[in-house]
Amino acid sequence: MKEVVLECYGEACPIPLVKAQKKIEELDAGDILIVQIDHSCAMKNLPEWARKDGHNVEVDEIDDGEWEVIIEKVV
Amino acid sequence: MDLKKNEYYLTVFKNPWTYVKGAVLLSIFQIVSFAATVNPWGVSGAFAYWGAWIFELFGGNVDKWYYFSNSATLDAGFINSASSLRNVGVIFGALLATLLASQFRIKKLKSWRQVIAAMLGGLLMGYGARIASGCNIGALFSGISSLSLSGWVYALFILLGAFVGGKLLTKFFM
Repeated sequence: MKEVVLECYGEACPIPLVKAQKKIEELDAGDILIVQIDHSCAMKNLPEWARKDGHNVEVDEIDDGEWEVIIEKVV
Repeated sequence: MDLKKNEYYLTVFKNPWTYVKGAVLLSIFQIVSFAATVNPWGVSGAFAYWGAWIFELFGGNVDKWYYFSNSATLDAGFINSASSLRNVGVIFGALLATLLASQFRIKKLKSWRQVIAAMLGGLLMGYGARIASGCNIGALFSGISSLSLSGWVYALFILLGAFVGGKLLTKFFM
């Protein structure tokens, strides 16, 4: 079971989403992808995409305007 | 009671609203804006005047420029330009929203490549918006909402442009 951190601070939409979509393809089921973002619209479109794809998602606000989107790959 | 966990605070200020809620509010407020200013909502047109006013501040003269020929807006100045004041309102409104959500943050620059891309992109968008006589608000949003065919033509080509732009973005920025 792997845990991969994808640092996307300072990246605007849709770059964090596209990077996360590419990254998750390299992972196996059960692996965790943590996407670090500071762009509020990524906080909306990342979980939306991941949930639609059937993964488990949790959003953690780690600081003012800074989030970690934690995605557990399911399939 | 902890305000940060209050459900009304979370619903109204903290959590992102749905796209539908945003769309309905935008529609209502553009009608209010139309009624109050007698012109459809536009954003980028005012920036051309901002440029002209700054240019004049440094002794420049745009009287001979075709774009500004016969323009009452130019002579009336910033304080009488409803569109300019509305743009300032948008900026302060956005600041207020991010402060109320406790999400304000000054972001660090990722790379010089990002800075140059942002400036180039801004220039192209500004130039395109003026050549097209409107941006995605003045030409697209206000065009479609006033039942003009031009808004739909704009929509078709902005989708094509966004498609090509998206391909370029994934090719050069990933």
